[in-house]
Amino acid sequence: MKTAELSAGTHRRVRLFGRNQQARSESLWAYLLIAPMMIGFSVFFLIALGASLVLTFTSWDMLTSPVWIGFGNYTQLFRDAEFRTSLWNTAAIAIPNVFFRLIFALALALALNTNIRFRSFYRMLFFMPVLTMPVAIGTIWKWLYDPAFGPINGLLGSLGLPRPEWLSEPRTAIIAVVIVLLWSGVGYDMIIFLAGLQTIPRDYYDAAAMDGASAWQRFRDITVPLLTPTTFFLSVIGIIFSLQVFDLVYVMTRIDQTNQLPTVVYYIYEEGFRNFRMGYAITVAWALLAIILVFTLLQFRLQRRWVHYA
Amino acid sequence: MTRQAIKPTLGRLGLHAVLLSVGLLFMFPFIWSISTSLKPVSDLFQVTPSLIPSEYRWQNYSDVFSSVPFLRIYANTIFVTIARTIGQVLIASLAAFAFSQLKFPGRDFLFFLLLAGLMVPDQVLIVPRFIIMRQLDWFDTYQGLIIPLIFSSFGVFLLRQFFLGIPKEFYEAAKLEGANPFQIYWDIYLPLARPALAAFGFLAMLFSWNEFLWALTVTGDSNMRVLSVGIALFQGQFFTNNAILLAAANMATFPLLIAFLFFQKQLVEGIALSGLK
Repeated sequence: MKTAELSAGTHRRVRLFGRNQQARSESLWAYLLIAPMMIGFSVFFLIALGASLVLTFTSWDMLTSPVWIGFGNYTQLFRDAEFRTSLWNTAAIAIPNVFFRLIFALALALALNTNIRFRSFYRMLFFMPVLTMPVAIGTIWKWLYDPAFGPINGLLGSLGLPRPEWLSEPRTAIIAVVIVLLWSGVGYDMIIFLAGLQTIPRDYYDAAAMDGASAWQRFRDITVPLLTPTTFFLSVIGIIFSLQVFDLVYVMTRIDQTNQLPTVVYYIYEEGFRNFRMGYAITVAWALLAIILVFTLLQFRLQRRWVHYA
Repeated sequence: MTRQAIKPTLGRLGLHAVLLSVGLLFMFPFIWSISTSLKPVSDLFQVTPSLIPSEYRWQNYSDVFSSVPFLRIYANTIFVTIARTIGQVLIASLAAFAFSQLKFPGRDFLFFLLLAGLMVPDQVLIVPRFIIMRQLDWFDTYQGLIIPLIFSSFGVFLLRQFFLGIPKEFYEAAKLEGANPFQIYWDIYLPLARPALAAFGFLAMLFSWNEFLWALTVTGDSNMRVLSVGIALFQGQFFTNNAILLAAANMATFPLLIAFLFFQKQLVEGIALSGLK
């Protein structure tokens, strides 16, 4: 055969060339396959992100061209009492929401991680609100909280208790909103906790039981530490999502065209698309991004103290 | 806390009692919403409202359609949701296949870039996206509602994770047979990934159906609204009667809830998957 007569060097070069060709064609295919995603990502993410950052240094009403104002928006941020209020409202909603969600979700997950009957029926009951449109949730609950004709005050009234104004008082509004967010989010955390519980080997519990550990000790020394990675994940994304609450709260707390409980994202929308102060609205959005990043980094920093990876 | 832990029947009954009452509490808003949506106006203004309507007024549901272009809004939502879901699944799975199976320069860097995109909240991007829409003259159009939301970094991440679990031999064997990477993706990997595609598809559908901020930003015309925006904005404006408002809210949520009841298993698995990986 001809090929057998070729010198070893040439032979290697031929094979190498063939492999190069193949690698090149594979790369070309790869770029082709990721192209739709990367083009969309470049336009709607990378370019948008760059433009967004530039716009924070401008004052812009969308009708005339943007005016460069340097750090003007940033200095205004620190003086802005309305921004501070929205930030405070958001934190007052987010922190209790994440905290209680984790506790209730864990309790439900533990109850459902037994061989009790109708498990998937119960799971579905707790999970239904997660699937429900936030705007519809806000609409339904706003009616439940109606101070004059809602069933909650109807019940309180018939028990002889005071009938709060709920959504039109900031203090009761925060409680009311957190209850709704808990109702609508607990099912999600419960599903993730259930998945986490299923990864804990049964042998651990059997061994502990043989050593005479009580149910409480097994819970404290096996379940809790081995669930810390799940808890960590849920608290990180819980904070990220709750800091961005918008539609649900917007529907519930907008009474007679004014928002009784403006959150940060509501403030961004209001400043940008109602007051046409685009540059400033985007600056508030970047402040929110910075706060989210700080919270997330802080959680990652603190995780070493309490999260156990098996 | 193991599955064996609960043995005594009394404890079991107690657990059922607790779960059932908590479950009932969870269902109460839905039940109340259905009951309210069937009430005549006079029932709405009772200081101690009752769960059972004094008469069932089914007409509230048809009244929804006469006060706003509800049918159009409903059709918009269905169309936009289907288009976004198909787009997201196709685009993300193509990219996920390439990122998990093919070797190419810059692969890890590009993937990292996509992951970084997951951390940035949409609010930062909404104004530039809005400007792009104005430049393209896509305000109040279906492409404006659909296209900016069909590129899901999350989907690429989730599906890549799944594709990585498929043995590389499938790819190598098909390549020897002379199939090109697209054929391998289409004929082998997509069918194998059906459970993951279903899980991601459900999440994409749910997200799209309920999405509010972008739809609010990119539409102004009542005929181009979707359900979430319609129900939020028409309150107190067109829907002054709460029974009719809640009839609209019920129609916006229950079809989806019922559909998901049938696919409960896949959905729950998908959510669990998204949480653990």
